[in-house]
Order: sequence, then C-alpha cells, then structure tokens
Amino acid sequence: MFLPRLVIRNLSRHKRRVFITALIIAFAILVYIMIEGLMMGLTEISFANIINLDSGHLQITDRNYFADRDELPLKNLLTPTREIEEQIEATAGLEAYTRRLDFSVNLNNGIDELPVKGVGIDPGKDPAVFDLEKHLISGRMPTAGSREIIMGARLADLMDFEIGDYGIMLIRTAEQTFNTIDGEIVGLFNTPHPSLNDSTVFIPLSTAQASLNLGDQISHYVLRMEERQRGITAVEDLNPALNDPLRAYSWRSTSENLIYMLELQQIETQIVLAIILTIAAVGIVNTVILSALERMEELGMMKAMGMREKEIVHIFMGEAAGIGLIGGIMGLIMGAIGLYIFNHYGIDMSTLAGGGEITYGFPVSGTIYAGWSIASFVFVFSYGLFVSILASIFPALWAARKDPIKAIYHR
Amino acid sequence: MALVKLISLEKIYQQGKIAVPALRGIDMEIESGEFTTIFGPSGSGKTTLLNMIGCLDKSTSGEIIFAGNSINQLSRNELADIRRYNLGFIFQSYNLIPVLTAFENVEFAIRLIDKHSKKDRRDKVMHILNEVGLGDMAYRKPNELSGGQKQRVAVARALIKEPKLVLADEPTANLDSETSEEVLQIMKKMNEELNTTFIFSTHDPQVMEYAKRLVEIKDGRITKDQRRD
Repeated sequence: MFLPRLVIRNLSRHKRRVFITALIIAFAILVYIMIEGLMMGLTEISFANIINLDSGHLQITDRNYFADRDELPLKNLLTPTREIEEQIEATAGLEAYTRRLDFSVNLNNGIDELPVKGVGIDPGKDPAVFDLEKHLISGRMPTAGSREIIMGARLADLMDFEIGDYGIMLIRTAEQTFNTIDGEIVGLFNTPHPSLNDSTVFIPLSTAQASLNLGDQISHYVLRMEERQRGITAVEDLNPALNDPLRAYSWRSTSENLIYMLELQQIETQIVLAIILTIAAVGIVNTVILSALERMEELGMMKAMGMREKEIVHIFMGEAAGIGLIGGIMGLIMGAIGLYIFNHYGIDMSTLAGGGEITYGFPVSGTIYAGWSIASFVFVFSYGLFVSILASIFPALWAARKDPIKAIYHR
Repeated sequence: MALVKLISLEKIYQQGKIAVPALRGIDMEIESGEFTTIFGPSGSGKTTLLNMIGCLDKSTSGEIIFAGNSINQLSRNELADIRRYNLGFIFQSYNLIPVLTAFENVEFAIRLIDKHSKKDRRDKVMHILNEVGLGDMAYRKPNELSGGQKQRVAVARALIKEPKLVLADEPTANLDSETSEEVLQIMKKMNEELNTTFIFSTHDPQVMEYAKRLVEIKDGRITKDQRRD
C-alpha cells in the first residue's frame, strides 16, 4: 500500500497540471459518450421507424424479388395462398400480418410530375402492423376498394395538394402498358420517417392490383411480432416451411443499408475517440517526463536505496493511471450530464440540417434523443485508462533507466 | 574478513575523445564497524570512489569485493538488491521525498526490504526518529523542517534498515557547524551502538575529527591512510 500512497501524493504535487491532463481525457470520454449516445439514439429510432412504418418485423417475399426490391419491380411477385397464410399464422410470437404491394408511380398534379413510391395496403389489416394511422395529421385512412389515397403532408405541400384534391398516379402495368389512377386525397400524414413523408403514396391494395393488372398478386407479406428480437428468430422457424423461392427476411435484412451505415459511423466514432485520446496520451507523456525531470534527484535517491527500475516504472505508471482514473471519472460525470441534457431537450434533426429535412441518410426526422448503455461507459472508461497507462510506459522506462549518479547529482 | 575490498580500482570517464582518469588504481580494505573519512581536494576522486563502493557506478578496471563477493559482474538489478539490503546513503542535498512526511520518508527505506509487520515497522521508525531527535516532528513534511532536521531524517532513513555500510557524501556541507556537530554525534552513536560501518567523503575538518580512519586521496590515488584510536 506504500506505492499507491506515494502515487497519490505525487499526483498532488502539481494539481493544475494533473487536472488539465485529466481534463483532456475527460473531454475525449465526453465526446465519445455524446457521439455514441447520438448514434445509439439514431439507431434505435431508425430501427423503430423502419419497423413501425416500412418493413415490419419480418417480411415474406420471393427471394428474387427481394434482391431487386429497391427497383420496385412488378415481376417475381407472390400470389397469396391459404397455405402460406396458415404458415404465417402458425408462427410463434405473431401479433398481426398484412399484405402489401410496392410499385413505381409518377405523381402528377396537372402541372408537375414527381416519381414516388406507391404502396398498396390492406386498410383492414395494415393498421395492426404499421403505425401509419397514428401519424395522420388530417383526414383519414383510405377505405378498401376505393380510389382514395393518402400521402405525406410534405409531399402534398410540394405538389400543392390538399385533402379532397385528386392526384393523378401514372403507372406502368406488369405488361408495360401505361395506366392512371385518379386518387382522391383523403388523408395527410407526417411520420418520423422522412422518405415516407417525401415520396410515398398509399392506396388500397385491391385498387392497386386492379390498376396494375396483377390479379391478387402482392410484393410481400409483412408480419408484426410480439417483440423485435422475435422478428429475427422467426426467420429460422419460417424458412424451412416456406416453398422456394419464398423466403422470410427479418427487419435486420431489410435494413442492411442502414446497418452498414451504422457500422461505418461506429468506425468514425472510434477514430474520433482515438484522435482525442492520442492528444491525451501526448499530455500524459508530457506530464510523466516533466515529473521525472523535476524529481530527478529523488529518483536517483530511490535507485540508491535499492529500488528496481520496474518499481520506479510502476510509480510513474501508477501516476498515469491515476490521471486516467481522474479523467475517466470526470468524463463519465460530464458524459452523464451531457446525455441527461440531450435526453431532456432532444436534438431537432432539422436544426442540424440548418432548417432543412436532410437526415444524413437516416430514416429519422424531427427530434431525436440519445441512447446510452453501461457497456459503452465501461468501454470508454477502460479505454481511457488503458491509453493513459500505455502512454506512460516509455517515459517511465526512460526515467527509471536514468543513471543513478547523474540523477542524484542532477543539479 | 574485510567488509569492502578494493583491488587496483580504476575509473576513467570519457569526455568526447578525451579520457579523464578519476581513480588510478585504488587498493583498500574497510573492516566492519569502521568510521572512515575520505578527504581530499575537489576533483580528487572522493565521490567517484564512494559511488563505486556504493554499487552506483562500475569501475573501468579492478575489482570490488563486498562482503566476500565480487560485484563487478553483477546486473543492474543485482546491484540494486545489494544497495537495498546492505547499504545506506546520505547525501549533501538530503534528497528526501517532499510529498512524504519525515516518518514516511524513513518508513520508505524499510518498506523496500519489507520484512516487518506494520506495528514493528512503526515502532522501529519512531525509535530511530527519537534517536535522531525528531520524534515530535515525525509527521512534518521536509519543507517544514530545517536543513539540520532534514539531514537527520536522511540519517534515520539510511540507518533504519540496519545496513552493513553507510556511505555519506559530504553530509555536513549544507549545515552550520552546530548542526553538523549534532548530526555527526548521531552517526557516531549509531556506529558505536549498531557497529554500522560508515564511509564519509568530505572537506570538513569537523568530520575528520570524528573519523577513526582518515584516507586522503589526490588525483585518483590514495596518498595517506591513517588509523586513529
């Protein structure tokens, strides 16, 4: 217990220097916690938006369709059968399911035309799977069999549409012939999923199928499970039972672009952390060298008293660990306060985008809140401590290997 | 058997291309319990000789035998162990650790050999601090002590582990004559009570008066070696 006591006393010699070095580490930890919190918040909200408004927990579709789904093709569609639906209904943890048909549309207001995504929905079943109805800001959902449509308020604003107006939907059927749907706008929504607000029009499924000459074909089934994780595990239950080329895809598979983006963001976060901690490491190296120079005669005396180089290295490493510990604790406290403020007030994405609707590719708009985890706190604290100790090794070795005579007669 | 035996000891410092001899063939034996003073003009090689005996520096040639064992071929860690268990040092500039109290500075030396219980350690430290007259100042830090008091702490630190040999490099150089007298009395007492061997290097005639053996060194050679009763 003597060396720890000596280490603590040594740290008290130059409180301001120790505080400033610790503050750099604390700042690195704060930045990491805030970025990580933002990323966790974005991730959580992004997945929630995708699941609740776009993909559900699980989809069943033709595997060939799934590969090309972003192009909204009208081939490799699936024809609903009682057998498939019995398999769906037998899935453990199922809450509800619905059918959907995605297709390509050119939306026309008589003056301008805009390419958007059309989605045929089953008005009876869709609200049990998706939250779209909750985000209606005016009007109502379309009724089954009607030529009623709903769209994002932002898209309506862009196209000068109001409730009661007719939007002309120019579509190309499976046989590549052109057709139009004069859809009466009966509802406007504003969801936290920006691409839904900007570029999606919802129409009753049967109307879409008839207009596209698709019979009762759909692009996919969407399932809502009791919990998010069940969407991943149910894929393994369903796939063996489904006839090829049908396949089940979890929300993770349908969000692969987002997941890839999040992984890149994670690397970015690590790089930022590494850069700031490198600056902190330079501070530690500087502190240890200054301490050694100031205490050269003491070091010489310690060596004369028979202290081994390893023990002297331990003293300096202990001091660096102490600085890392102080910085770590300060950083965690600052990070916790930062996250509390972040969660209390949230961050308006439009503020980040300078008032616009840019979402940096995330399916998120409006106010976001931070996420946090104990693991992230433990990781960054341990990492800060590790970097502090690591940074001290070479200057500590340098100090410990000083010739005792030169050290004693330093002045 | 001599505690320390020096055989044809030479030390040459290399300053750029110039070889500067500091010791030119020293032969000397020091018996246990001796109170020896090495004196001579500045640059004569006193401190170099003390550093050689103290296992702080290596000779260019010749041999040092400490307690029957040659130390020439020992590694840095082995030399550190000899210093740790067998040697005590007292320097002109005290070299106390400023963040530790007088008690802790003395305790530090005994901690390194770590063979005492907490209570024993405490009793031993307080005993030696009382012996050097600092029992009531045990919890003062070095900046709260006078020069003489600091040197007494350094003496206590050197003696606490009951070393075979104490090396003191100009221990009274920073002290006034009255304080020097007190510190020398303490060391003399320890020499008599514990049979600790002392080797001083000094210019100070006051120190020489206390010595049982006077060794004069000039230009790296022993020019006089006189034992006194």
